[in-house]
Amino acid sequence: MEKAINRQRVLLEHLRPSSSSSFVYGSDSSSSSPPISASACAAGDSAAYHRTSVFGDDVVIVAAYRTPICKAKRGGFKDTYADDLLAPVLKAVIEKTNVNPSEVGDIVVGTVLAPGSQRATECRMAAFYAGFPETVPIRTVNRQCSSGLQAVADVAAAIRAGFYDIGIGAGLESMTSSPLAWEGSVNPKVKIFEQAQNCLLPMGITSENVAHRFGVTRQEQDQAAVESHQRAAAATASGKFKDEIIPVPTKIVDPITGDEKPITISIDDGIRPNARSSDLAKLKPVFKKDGSTTAGNSSQVSDGAGAVLLMKRSIAVQKGLPILGVFRTFAAVGVDPAIMGVGPAAAIPAAVKAAGLELDDIDLFEINEAFASQFVYCRNKLELDPEKINVNGGAIALGHPLGATGARCVATLLHEMKRRGKDCRFGVISMCIGSGMGAAAVFERGDAVDDLCNARVVQSNSLLSKDAQ
Amino acid sequence: MPVFKTPFNGYSVKFSPFYESRLAVATAQNFGILGNGRVHILDLPPTPSSPFVELASFETADGVYDVAWSESHDSLLVAAVADGSLKIYDLSLPPTSNPIRSLHEHSREVQSVDYNPVRRDSFISSSWDDSIKLWTLDRPTSIRSFQEHAYCVYAAVWNPRHADVFASASGDCTLRVWDVREPGSTMVVAAHEFEILSCDWNKYDDCVIATASVDKSVRVWDIRTYRTPLAVLNGHGYAVRKVKFSPHNRSFLVSCSYDMTVCAWDYMVEDARIGQYGHHTEFAVGVDMSVLVEGLIASTGWDELVYVWQYGTDPRAP
Repeated sequence: MEKAINRQRVLLEHLRPSSSSSFVYGSDSSSSSPPISASACAAGDSAAYHRTSVFGDDVVIVAAYRTPICKAKRGGFKDTYADDLLAPVLKAVIEKTNVNPSEVGDIVVGTVLAPGSQRATECRMAAFYAGFPETVPIRTVNRQCSSGLQAVADVAAAIRAGFYDIGIGAGLESMTSSPLAWEGSVNPKVKIFEQAQNCLLPMGITSENVAHRFGVTRQEQDQAAVESHQRAAAATASGKFKDEIIPVPTKIVDPITGDEKPITISIDDGIRPNARSSDLAKLKPVFKKDGSTTAGNSSQVSDGAGAVLLMKRSIAVQKGLPILGVFRTFAAVGVDPAIMGVGPAAAIPAAVKAAGLELDDIDLFEINEAFASQFVYCRNKLELDPEKINVNGGAIALGHPLGATGARCVATLLHEMKRRGKDCRFGVISMCIGSGMGAAAVFERGDAVDDLCNARVVQSNSLLSKDAQ
Repeated sequence: MPVFKTPFNGYSVKFSPFYESRLAVATAQNFGILGNGRVHILDLPPTPSSPFVELASFETADGVYDVAWSESHDSLLVAAVADGSLKIYDLSLPPTSNPIRSLHEHSREVQSVDYNPVRRDSFISSSWDDSIKLWTLDRPTSIRSFQEHAYCVYAAVWNPRHADVFASASGDCTLRVWDVREPGSTMVVAAHEFEILSCDWNKYDDCVIATASVDKSVRVWDIRTYRTPLAVLNGHGYAVRKVKFSPHNRSFLVSCSYDMTVCAWDYMVEDARIGQYGHHTEFAVGVDMSVLVEGLIASTGWDELVYVWQYGTDPRAP
C-alpha cells in the first residue's frame, strides 16, 4: 500500500508542485491556473460510481444525428418538404452504423403541429425515401415539445418490453408548413375549468407568468440569451456540431423571381454570434405590455429533424457497434398549465431519482430554452451549475422545431459527453411542455469497459458439442 | 486512422525501428498506482477503416511505465516495470517463453528505458531510486550504475550520434549529460525551476536537447551554451510529460501533457506551437514519432486509447 501512496504522491507533485515560486508564463501571465488539491475520494459506498451496471439488456444508443436547424419561413428549409427533412437522418443512422434497415423493429417519430394522419403518412413516405423496406413499421407520437424525447423513450420502453430489439426514435417539425393555430371552436366548458382555459394560453403568456411569479428579470433573460448564442457560435466555429449534423441537400425558391436553386444546408442558421445584451435590451416585449419576454430571449420558430438508433446492448456488442450512450430513465410530470415553463424543475428530479442518482451526479444537462424566463427559473430552482447546462447553446440560438427538439438534444448531449471523456458520466435532457407538463430523461455515457472489445468476433462456434448449439 | 483501446491505462508508446506499421504500448492498471501491467504489440492496419491488429500482449505483475524496441533484433523489446525490474520480451518466441530475461536491480519504479541506436547492443534504464543503469542483453547484471541525481530520474535518452553519450532528466530539476567512458556526469544543466519529466536529443544537431517540465514549458537547450535556453515553448496548461524530437525535421518536436493535449512545435520560429491535438480525454502521457514514416505520430494516455495519425490530420478522423 505504501508503494501506491508514494506513486500517487509523485504524480501529484507533477500537478501541484510544492515550490511556492510563481510560474513564468510566456504570453498570458494574468490568469493563473486554478489551485489543484487532492481531495478525498467522493465516491462513497452509495455513490453512483460504485454501481457500474453493464447488462446485456440495457438499451443503448449507437447513433444519434440531426439535420441543421433553420429559421421557419425564412431559413434554409423554407421550401423543403417535411418528409425530406426526416429522410436524411433516418438514412444516416442506418448508413453510419451499417445496420441492415430490415432489422429495425419500429420507427417512432415525435411531431407536433401537422395534422396527425397526414404527418404519419409523410413519415412513412420518408422511411421509404431513406431506403427502409416496407416491412419496417412507423408511427408518430405527440407530447407537444417533448415529442422527440418521448419517441426515444417509447422505443426504449418497447425494446425493454421485448417488442423488438432495434428501434429508431426520431423527431420532426416543419414549422414553415404547419403554423401554430387552433382549428374550430373552443369548448365553452373552459369558462368553468380554469386549468383547461390556461391550456389555451399562448406560450409567451406562460413565459410572462413565470417571469412575473418567480421574479426573473429582463436582464437575466437577455443574459441567458446572449450566452446561448455565444456558446452555439463557439460550438459551430470549433466544428463540434460536425459530428452530429447530417447535411441536407434541398432546394431554395427565390420568393421574388420563383427560381429554384439546389443547395445543401449543413449549419444552423439561427445563431447570432454577435448577440449582445445591449442589442437585446432594445427589443420590445412581444406578448405583454411591460413584459420581459421578447423575440430575442425566446426560442426561435424553426424547421429540423433528428433520429436516434437504439438497441439492446447485447445486439450492439454482437454487431461490433461502439456505444454512444445508454438510455437510463424517463419521466413525464404534469404542472400548472399557466406556468408550464416550470416543467423541467419538476421532471428532472423525478427522472434523476428514478435512475437512483442525485442531481450532483449529473455531469451535463440539455434543458430546452423555450423561453429564457423558464430556463433561468429552472436552473436557479434546481441550483444547477450553469457551466454544465447547454454548453453548446440552446433553443434560443439554435431554434426549437417542436417535435424534433428532444431527438436533437439526444444527439447534442451524447456527442458532447463522448468528447468530454469518462469524467462526464451522466447527462439529462429536459423540456417544458405546452399545456402544463415537463419531461426529462437520464442518459449515461457510452463505452463501458468491455473486456472483449478487442477480441476477434467468432462467427460460428464449432467447439461446442452438438447439444449445446 | 483507427484507435486502439487498451484494457489498462496507457503509459508509453514506441514505434518499432524495423517495421513501419508496428508499435509497442506500455500500460498499467489503475493509472499505474496499483495493479498489473501489460505490454501490447500492435500492427497498424493497411487501410484506415480496418482496426488495429494486436500481435501479442504480455502481462506483468506491476504496471509497465515504458517500453523500448531493440535496435539489433526486430523481435526484441525491453519493458520498464514499476516494481523495479526490466523485462525483455522476444516476439519470435511463444508467449509461454516470455519474458526471456528479468533484470531486477533498481530498488524503485523504473520510469524509462532507452536502447542505444548507435552501438545497438546496450540500453539504459532510469528509475525513481535516483539512478540510471546501463545494461546489455547478454549480461544478467548491469554494467554500470550512474548515481548522481537527488530525486527520481524520469528519463534517460541516448544521443543519436555519439555512441557513449546520454542525457537524463530528473525531479531534482537538473538535466545531466553523461559519457559512459567518464566516471561521472560531464555536464549538469539547471534547466528548470521545477521537476523535469522528459528530455530528448535533436536528431540533426547533436548538441541540442529539449526538456519538458512540471513548469508547463518545454525548453530547448544547446549544451554548449547551457546557461540560457535556445527556446522556451509555452502553451501547455499543465506539466509536460514527454517530449520527442522528429527524426525527419531538425526543428520539429512533439510533446504531450497532463492537460490532455499533444502539441507539435517548431522551436526555430517565432510562434512555436504549430499544432495542438486534444483527442485524449485523460492525461496524455506517451507520444512517439515514427523513424520510418515521416510525420507519423502515436500517442497514448490514461483514457486507455492509442491514436496513430499523420501530422496535420485529425487523429480522430476515421
